[in-house]
Amino acid sequence: MEELILTFLTDLISLLAIYFILNLSLNLELGYVGIPNFGLVLAVTGGAYVVGWLPIRLLMHIYAIDSSLSSDILKNNVIIVTQINHYLQRDPLIGILTFILTLLVAMCMGGALGILAAYPAIRLRSDYLAITLLALGEILSIIGRNYEPLVGGVIGIMVPDPWSWLGSIRFLLLPIILLGIAALTALFLEILSRSPVYRTFKAVRDNEIAAASLGKDIVKVRISALVLGSMMSGLAGALYAFYSCYVGPGVYGRMEWTFLPWLMVVFGGLGNNKGVLLGTSVFIAFRKLIIFYKEAFAFLPFDVVWMEYLLLSLLLLIIVILRPQGLIKEKPRYTLPRDKLVRISQKFHRKRD
Amino acid sequence: MSWTLLIDAVTYSCLISLMGFGLGFVRITTGVWNIAHASLVTIGAYIVFISVALMGGSPYIYLPLAFITCGFVAFLEYITIIEPLRKRKASTIMMLVATLSLDLFLFSLLNIGADYLQLRLGLPSKNFLLRSLDFNFLEFPGIFWSSLLLLIFSLGFLHYLLKHTTIGASLRASISNPLLAPLIGINVTRVNLFSWFIAGGFAGLSGGLLPLWMQGKPVLGDSLLPVMFCVVIVGGVEEVFGTFIGGILVGFVQILLTSALALVFGTAVIPYKTLIPMAILVVTLLFAPRGIIGIEWKKVLPLLRVR
Repeated sequence: MEELILTFLTDLISLLAIYFILNLSLNLELGYVGIPNFGLVLAVTGGAYVVGWLPIRLLMHIYAIDSSLSSDILKNNVIIVTQINHYLQRDPLIGILTFILTLLVAMCMGGALGILAAYPAIRLRSDYLAITLLALGEILSIIGRNYEPLVGGVIGIMVPDPWSWLGSIRFLLLPIILLGIAALTALFLEILSRSPVYRTFKAVRDNEIAAASLGKDIVKVRISALVLGSMMSGLAGALYAFYSCYVGPGVYGRMEWTFLPWLMVVFGGLGNNKGVLLGTSVFIAFRKLIIFYKEAFAFLPFDVVWMEYLLLSLLLLIIVILRPQGLIKEKPRYTLPRDKLVRISQKFHRKRD
Repeated sequence: MSWTLLIDAVTYSCLISLMGFGLGFVRITTGVWNIAHASLVTIGAYIVFISVALMGGSPYIYLPLAFITCGFVAFLEYITIIEPLRKRKASTIMMLVATLSLDLFLFSLLNIGADYLQLRLGLPSKNFLLRSLDFNFLEFPGIFWSSLLLLIFSLGFLHYLLKHTTIGASLRASISNPLLAPLIGINVTRVNLFSWFIAGGFAGLSGGLLPLWMQGKPVLGDSLLPVMFCVVIVGGVEEVFGTFIGGILVGFVQILLTSALALVFGTAVIPYKTLIPMAILVVTLLFAPRGIIGIEWKKVLPLLRVR
């Protein structure tokens, strides 16, 4: 039982970290700038496909894996990955460098896909843009399913584990590493949210015409935010691929990687990272708990996963109708600390009097 | 061009036009992109499937039932979700999220129902095709005739409704100016309810026809959602009849271009056919952001002639 609970907790923390990064990216795009990115799945899939394509080829080259195997990576996928993991068990440096390099490439891929999707649609009105991004979000999934050399077609591909040198403690340490990356991402957004860039983002979100009249290039600002957000989405996709050591187009669907993040962010509250954390935690914990107690629902004449969707969607409907701002409302951020602003104001008034 | 290809192109175009119509119609009347429209299409397919499985007979006789049921679900959606949000002056994005939640809710219900039908009643509800129950007329399948006739009937019905009835006049008035319409005595809520019922009904009709042409499953509507959006945007969001033009264009180009590409590059290109509507969407957004119906042909045609 203890082992079961430990597995549950590590799985919970890992998924929480990955979805937190993804939801922060949506919060950046939607909450900060007002871009309704209904095509999140595009950048997520891009990041994951990088993990499916790059590390295996890179490590095969580094470890000079048998050339007869490399002629058909897909067919010999399991043998190649097993051999690479065997080498990686004794080579932590290569493992860590591969992990970092792949994540960087995945982020670049996410950013590039963000530009590609945004370019034809970024000038459109918000709902129009949302629908266009939703339609375009499917592109990579269609290619991945049908073009086998990319990530093995519908069957998918196994990915080398850069953390295999951790041995038996891998499953304990990986969630902490993921949590660390999520914390760094949140820190980056917190720093961003205290900078002039953030205020430009908010100005564009709240009143495009006013922002443009103050010399802000609306299209440029929106594209920058979308690229930054897509890079973070790509990172989330890559981390999930590394976490599961598998990439397949079937895993990266619109429901899981676009619709659920939207529900989590709106549920928690748009425009503030605390709300995003709360929404993500509630949703992920709820989902994992239902799966954990799956056997208790064995009497139901249907798969219990549908009950999870049913309850979550119902909960969100109630939230949207009764409390559209989410559980935690966005608070105004000041350019300087509040007490300093008060002091300046008092000084100004004293001088005027 | 073979007859089979033409039949496929016509059938597909008519079906996606009918599906996209409801989506575009409520967008014009109430400004809401109804993502749950996808689930309404699937509900239509399941109503026909369950009716045929339990009571037998031709799938076509259950289409009115699919129309009424899906129309009623859309009607309920408007009363319980959209109208309260409109009263609170919710943003279009919040409306979109609400319809997304409803879509997820209906999607879960559909899956629960499909599981129940399969496990308890032994029906192949996760994957069904009703093609064997279709009729043939002049050597063409019934789905070809029915989808074509339904599209022509829908166009006629809409034209009559909008131009020659009081409710149609009210609809046009509330579309052109929703703020001014109540001042001349139009009950905008009633008009909107009517438009949602009609849109849901058309989703049910097209969904009911789909299993006669392609595999029915719980994700049927959701898998076609991007194509539906492409159809609406390519046709033009601001015009009721734009969706039909978009549907015909997207459907014909998708089927015929796939076939042409398959002749040149081999059959390996066929699975990529779903990329074609997206390519059309991108081209439309780049060169005609208001859709085909929004193109000012009087200005464009002379330019083309000069070139």
